[in-house]
Amino acid sequence: MSEQTSNVHTLPALPLKNTVLFPGLLMPLSVGRTTSLKAVQTALATEEKEIILVAQKDSSVETPTHNDLYTVGTKAVIRKMNRPSDELMELLVQGVERVVVLRVDLEHEHLQVRYMPAPLPTDTGPEVQALQGALIELAGKAIELAQPQAPPELVRMLAATDDPLRLVFLLASVLSLDLEKEQALLEAQTRVEAMSLMHGYLSHEVQVLELRSKIQNAARTEMSKEQREYMLRQQMKAIQSELGEKNPEQAEVDELRERYEKEKQNLSEEARKELERELSRLERVPAQSPEHSVLRTWAELVLELPWNTYTTDNLDIANARRILDEDHFNLRDVKDRILEHLSVLKMNPGAKAPILCLVGPPGVGKTSLGQSVARALGRNFERMSLGGLHDEAELRGHRRTYIGAMPGRLIQAVRRSKAKNPVLMLDEIDKLGRDYRGDPASALLEVLDPEQNKSFRDNYLDLNWDLSKVLFITTANTLDTIPRPLLDRMEVLRLSGYSEEEKIEIAKRYLIPRQLKETGLAAPPGDAAPDPGREGYEAAGPALAPPPAQPRVVIPDETLSALIRGWTREAGLRRLERAIGRLMRKVTLRLVESNSDEAVTVRPEDLPEMLGPEPFTQEMARKEVPPGVVTGLAWTETGGDVLYIEGTLLPQGKGLTLTGQLGEVMKESAQAARSWVWSHAERLGVDLERFKETGLHIHVPAGAIPKDGPSAGITMATAVASLYTACPARSDTAMTGEITLTGLVLPIGGVKEKLLAARRAGIRRVILPTANKKDLRDLPEPVRNEMEVIFADRIEQVLAVAIPDLHDRLALVEPKVA
Amino acid sequence: MRFFPSETGQERRQQWPAVDIVRTIDGWLLRFELAGVRLEDVNLQLGRRDIVLSGVRRDHMLEQGCSFYSMEITYSRFERTVQLPTDLSGARFNLEYRDGILLVRITEAA
Repeated sequence: MSEQTSNVHTLPALPLKNTVLFPGLLMPLSVGRTTSLKAVQTALATEEKEIILVAQKDSSVETPTHNDLYTVGTKAVIRKMNRPSDELMELLVQGVERVVVLRVDLEHEHLQVRYMPAPLPTDTGPEVQALQGALIELAGKAIELAQPQAPPELVRMLAATDDPLRLVFLLASVLSLDLEKEQALLEAQTRVEAMSLMHGYLSHEVQVLELRSKIQNAARTEMSKEQREYMLRQQMKAIQSELGEKNPEQAEVDELRERYEKEKQNLSEEARKELERELSRLERVPAQSPEHSVLRTWAELVLELPWNTYTTDNLDIANARRILDEDHFNLRDVKDRILEHLSVLKMNPGAKAPILCLVGPPGVGKTSLGQSVARALGRNFERMSLGGLHDEAELRGHRRTYIGAMPGRLIQAVRRSKAKNPVLMLDEIDKLGRDYRGDPASALLEVLDPEQNKSFRDNYLDLNWDLSKVLFITTANTLDTIPRPLLDRMEVLRLSGYSEEEKIEIAKRYLIPRQLKETGLAAPPGDAAPDPGREGYEAAGPALAPPPAQPRVVIPDETLSALIRGWTREAGLRRLERAIGRLMRKVTLRLVESNSDEAVTVRPEDLPEMLGPEPFTQEMARKEVPPGVVTGLAWTETGGDVLYIEGTLLPQGKGLTLTGQLGEVMKESAQAARSWVWSHAERLGVDLERFKETGLHIHVPAGAIPKDGPSAGITMATAVASLYTACPARSDTAMTGEITLTGLVLPIGGVKEKLLAARRAGIRRVILPTANKKDLRDLPEPVRNEMEVIFADRIEQVLAVAIPDLHDRLALVEPKVA
Repeated sequence: MRFFPSETGQERRQQWPAVDIVRTIDGWLLRFELAGVRLEDVNLQLGRRDIVLSGVRRDHMLEQGCSFYSMEITYSRFERTVQLPTDLSGARFNLEYRDGILLVRITEAA
């Protein structure tokens, strides 16, 4: 081969895979390809031991030719050679200079290249210096991120490298760059180009490193926080044991144990065994485990329950009666029942407590009566509302295995009451819900059965608890929605509505004093004798400055009476109390505005001005009624009501039409009434021929309110009789009673409410079944005196009294007049 | 990215030839380990405070038809700079090559 230029030389060559050798740097190489081994051998057989290293464009090519290699390579000296095996050589090569490969041939079984030295660029200038500084700074950052513990001389050594290209090559050799990037650095035409490229690569590397160290740091802090806590705990334990103190978990368990030892003799045998077992388990369970807190709260509950704590009953009957009378007016049944129980307790301290159910319209004082009973008995009082309760677990608790399990409301109430014999009031028992989660009413069956509740088992407590000493008082507005078995277990005490006289009395004794206290007015002595302890001047707000000497308000009975009649229509007292409160506030306003301390007397004629026009007109009774319309009496949840049963003939219909949302019982009752009239048509003087083609329609207003029950039987019979005979019934007479097909009049319920309703409506004459005579006892004296009550055994008697025109036709035994 | 200390340390260790610097009564003695180097391939450059030894070790013991099985002796160009804590202007130099060691004797100006 002929050399054209002295600059062109020939040397054996090694193709490099995935890497580039930079001039001035050392690099270990493994050589395995036969051609390469041959090339090395050839190179070693020279005095200089030089070889050309050129990178392969594609590392998968095993026998590269000219086109597979880059044109810029490096001349290197083989400094050391070692053979781990016959087919492999390990070389240590050092780059000497950059070369441009002109031709690659396969000669003597190895690659032989013709090359020309291509000296490295040597351009200088401010840009080179600036880039050099930036590179050193970036490299420092990278070293710090990649190897925080790297010796500082590393950076110093980089900084001391005065040849900028050598710096670039050094960095490239440690950066594990792609082949393309390394080759680009090697081929760079200027130093600036090489350094700019390197700057880019290094910045990217620094970003990656920063991100990585961020992730690692996050993971590390996470871990070290836990480790730290663990370490601190261990140290704390060590310190505590050094100081002879116990760790808090142990202290907690010890405290529980201490309490247990104190309570031990009170607990039941079962509770003792269970608690001992759970306490020793508690010692073994680590405090971090959720079970620990479950066990602890359970043990606390067991220790807090009043296993053997009883309040002493106040067995002084007179005193109890005084307290009951103080709080509530009348309500004799309930008070007597309580006093009876007290007497029983006096004779037999182990007597089972009764389970009472107070039924009555809203606002008659059922709930407050419970409180009063507790006060009279000297027992602790706890109250829970069952209204809307629809989850059985609420009552009986969740099993301890559930997270967030709690004892049921009953056990919680017992815990709060701190005694084994409290008065427990279960409010609104008629409003229990029920759904797929179970039926709380059925759970109550066990609770409210004196035979079973000796060993009530709460799911959470999981120990028998004796509820038999608890005096249960339940309240309800109606019995209809209470399941039969539940109702069966309770002693039902009815609180019927109050009469006007009772209301006046209650207002004077309780409502007015309470409202006086609320508004800061005090009634003058003499009027409305209040409980001296319950009112006073202390409630007078600071807004009333200068303090009024003695502001007074007097509400005479006539005013109260007018208020009750015109502004309220209720069985209870809530509206009345609100109305009195409003009255008081008006008076207060007037007093404060006029700055006077004159006693104000509220007259009935002042009421419309103070409270607005009366919303209820008193005279509800119809003055004149046509034949076929009869006044009936009904019992409702809010007390009694007067209703008119209207009948009319249908000229072209047939049969019986009943409207007004009547229930089955009421419909059947209407049919029985009509059948009786038809079967006695002759006696009543009814011409049956006339009515052959005539239908009958009975309507009971108000049409939107559902009604049911048999107690309108005689009313409907009277209406039918009045219609067929065309004789009007007396409009001043109301009646109630069940009718049989043979004309018997059977007793009904709710007499007191019905009579009070009649009286409220201005009706003074009432027909009742004879069997209900006993119920008159419940009526307040003035009502009884005012009303004319006629008792009847048979419908004929009813008709004779109600329809004057029929009196003679039904010549019967005169009905007795009460 | 990994900076192995050995990688950079190697750079320094690879400084060859190794040299001993000895203080003598009247000056310095530098002993370069230069086995297998022909004296005509060595060049000594003198500065005010430093001495630069450069040259090349050639493999002049090659035999026809033989090939390396392994190679630990480095045959290549070398350059070594030695700095001395004295001003060398006016000093006298004496070179001697004995048993593979190049001795550079420096007698300082009195």
